[in-house]
Amino acid sequence: MSEAVPALRMSGISKSFPGIRALTEVTLEVAAGEVHAIVGENGAGKSTLMKILAGIYQPDEGTIQLQGETVRIAGPIDARKRGIGMVYQELNLVPDLTVAENITLGSPPSRFGVVDRKALRARADEVLAELGAKVGADDLVGSLPVSQQQLVEIAKAYASSPRIIVLDEPTSSLSENEAQALFRVVQRMKDAGIAVIYISHRLREVIDLADQVTVLRDGRLVETRPAAGITAADMIRLMVGRDLTDVFPKREVPIGDVVLQVRGLTRAGHFENVDLDVRAGEIVGLAGFVGAGRTEVARSIFGLDRADGGTILVKGEQVNVRDPHAAVEAGIAYVPEDRKRDGLVPQLSVKDNISLAVLSDVATAGWIRRGAERRLATEKARELGVSPPVIDRRVDTYSGGNQQKVVFAKWLATRPEVLILDEPTRGVDVGAKADIHTIIGELAASGTAILMISSELPEVLAVSDRIYVLHEGRVSAELPRGASEHEVMHAATGEVAA
Amino acid sequence: MSVSTETAPGGRIVKQSVLARYGATLAMPAGIVVLLVIGTVLSDRFLSVGNLTNVLINMSIVGIIVVGMTFVFVSRGMADLSVPATVAVGGILVLMLDDVIGTWPAALVGVLVAGLAGVVNGLLIGYAGLNPVITTLATGIIVLGTAQAFVGGVIVYGQDTAAKDFLTGRLFGVVPVIVLVFLVVALLGHLALSRTVFGRWTYAVGSNPFATEASAVPIRLVKGGAFVLTATLAGFSGVLLGISLQAARPEIGTGYEFDAITAVVVGGVSLLGGSGSIPRAIGGLLFVTLLNNILILQGVPSEPQGMVKGALIAGAVALDVYLRRRGGRE
Repeated sequence: MSEAVPALRMSGISKSFPGIRALTEVTLEVAAGEVHAIVGENGAGKSTLMKILAGIYQPDEGTIQLQGETVRIAGPIDARKRGIGMVYQELNLVPDLTVAENITLGSPPSRFGVVDRKALRARADEVLAELGAKVGADDLVGSLPVSQQQLVEIAKAYASSPRIIVLDEPTSSLSENEAQALFRVVQRMKDAGIAVIYISHRLREVIDLADQVTVLRDGRLVETRPAAGITAADMIRLMVGRDLTDVFPKREVPIGDVVLQVRGLTRAGHFENVDLDVRAGEIVGLAGFVGAGRTEVARSIFGLDRADGGTILVKGEQVNVRDPHAAVEAGIAYVPEDRKRDGLVPQLSVKDNISLAVLSDVATAGWIRRGAERRLATEKARELGVSPPVIDRRVDTYSGGNQQKVVFAKWLATRPEVLILDEPTRGVDVGAKADIHTIIGELAASGTAILMISSELPEVLAVSDRIYVLHEGRVSAELPRGASEHEVMHAATGEVAA
Repeated sequence: MSVSTETAPGGRIVKQSVLARYGATLAMPAGIVVLLVIGTVLSDRFLSVGNLTNVLINMSIVGIIVVGMTFVFVSRGMADLSVPATVAVGGILVLMLDDVIGTWPAALVGVLVAGLAGVVNGLLIGYAGLNPVITTLATGIIVLGTAQAFVGGVIVYGQDTAAKDFLTGRLFGVVPVIVLVFLVVALLGHLALSRTVFGRWTYAVGSNPFATEASAVPIRLVKGGAFVLTATLAGFSGVLLGISLQAARPEIGTGYEFDAITAVVVGGVSLLGGSGSIPRAIGGLLFVTLLNNILILQGVPSEPQGMVKGALIAGAVALDVYLRRRGGRE
């Protein structure tokens, strides 16, 4: 393999986004007929690297070589033309078309501009047979279970005769048995001489399936080595090996009674039988990989999604969180993960955003008392250090950190008993991050029960009094303060601690 | 009515290009001044109290509908196409019932029944999540069909000339009563949109329904409410129309939906929701009505008038999209 020209060579790839360095001089080499796994924590740079390969991002530095030839991948269509097939976690299929139609969607065989149905069917059968995928070509994609849709998605990528196929978390929504069918398909592609890049959080799969493993951490290449002989513990060590510096000072506060009690919370297909307790003054971390169900749990507690079962109690009283309004009434507040979508109303001012959830409190018979509203917004903006504190300015003219402070301000105005924070420091600069941690500490000190989701493990470890780890929609561990990064990662990958 | 356009809640600073900021604010007043100058130059009848009063009277009936339609636009509810039907409901009911229960109770019934059609729209759009354009088209056809079946295709005549005289008369011999009614509705609508909880929610839903829902705002109620309001006001317009004409056919409201949409769009209220104001929409209405008036005074036939209006809508929407892009937002 050292002699042959690799199917793909990405060398010295660096990529920055405003305020974040996503990748630093990462090199990846994948040979034809090789299954190459990429592992790493959330935010390690796996997705960014693949998006560069797919032409969605352009690298700031570095080169990409396909079969030894240096290329510039202009965009997703160009990537496909150059023989790069992408299979993302989210499926991109047309549910109302048949399997055969979906597989050939990119370039349906046609005669005189009319789709040749016979040829189309033949091509789809051929692709499915080559992959050994047992899916009915005439079935409507929308009627298939997710596991089979996944195979169709792969068949669709395979139909364009790629030399490289990227599978991004293909098994995250599959059961063990369903995953087996997928592994057979991967084996077929490997035998056909395709270079397969396989991204997964399931380390056992990586061990079984991969020839080579590349570990990324904080946007840098840690190591690439043969999968033979590697253990899950080895990989976890490589993924986390980081100094836990005291960048997140933790304020010690007395911890009181249980405020939030979640029992058996279930939402089919997302999470199952989740039990959580959060006490007054306590900061409880909710760790796990992206897709493990953390945000989904939070959304259900806040009434944004309906849970199928389970109970939620606030201060011992059961609450029916039909919608966010009911949650707010019960004393629950939620700082969402996606600030742009769920956090802010962009065209409104800082004042309007801060008062949005408590507008009725500053109104008489539906008529907004403007003085009261301004006082509330000014006070909260100042309390949280929104700078500059110009409450009439449109919120979307502020930086990410200030916008996040506005979202906090909105929720603090509701005087919550329980505050759920979903990635509270994502996309904010270092200074604002420290501010937000100070705010969280003060809130805990004032007796608020805090449930914090964060993909940044050091943050979770430093700030939390206790940590729940989710793995594939279930609580896989409850860890006390002082737990190591290793313990959390073991639980998050579903591996039993070594 | 003032056409100052910076009356969106809390007069705010927006990071936009100079053109986008001042262009959006000053374009409408400037356009109206230009029309006044052009009209004066072209016709010596234009700049007279009589003619301009006529312009205001012509504005009034559709102006009341414009107030409701602005709520629909700001809440990102697209448009209410059932307006002709709800206008007809108001007009027909007031004239059918005036000799039974008296004109003013009959007017109330007309407004309430029209509002009921709005409740149907609101439930289907706000709660069931149906497409507003298709939904209001459908309810409009149903309601109009019901009205036609009810009336039997004839014209309904009224008996109450006193009410007609009052409505078409002038207060202190100067201000036409119907204009006054319109101005009161516009002022109330403006206050409701800019100063009440419901108004603020309307902006929030139109700007970002997801974040608004996540902020414990009853977004279905707000979305549906805009349609209830529009139908109620359209019914009220129909009542006024019926009383002042003392005759109503089911087709009495034809074209009002497009006139109202034209005014709102020309006033620079975005179809994408989250911005705009009643004064803006009324400014758009004044602009269109003045333009119409000038074309009529020049003896331009009605077909080219339609062409000018159509071009105006397309131009206004294109300008909105352009200004949004220039506004430097994603």
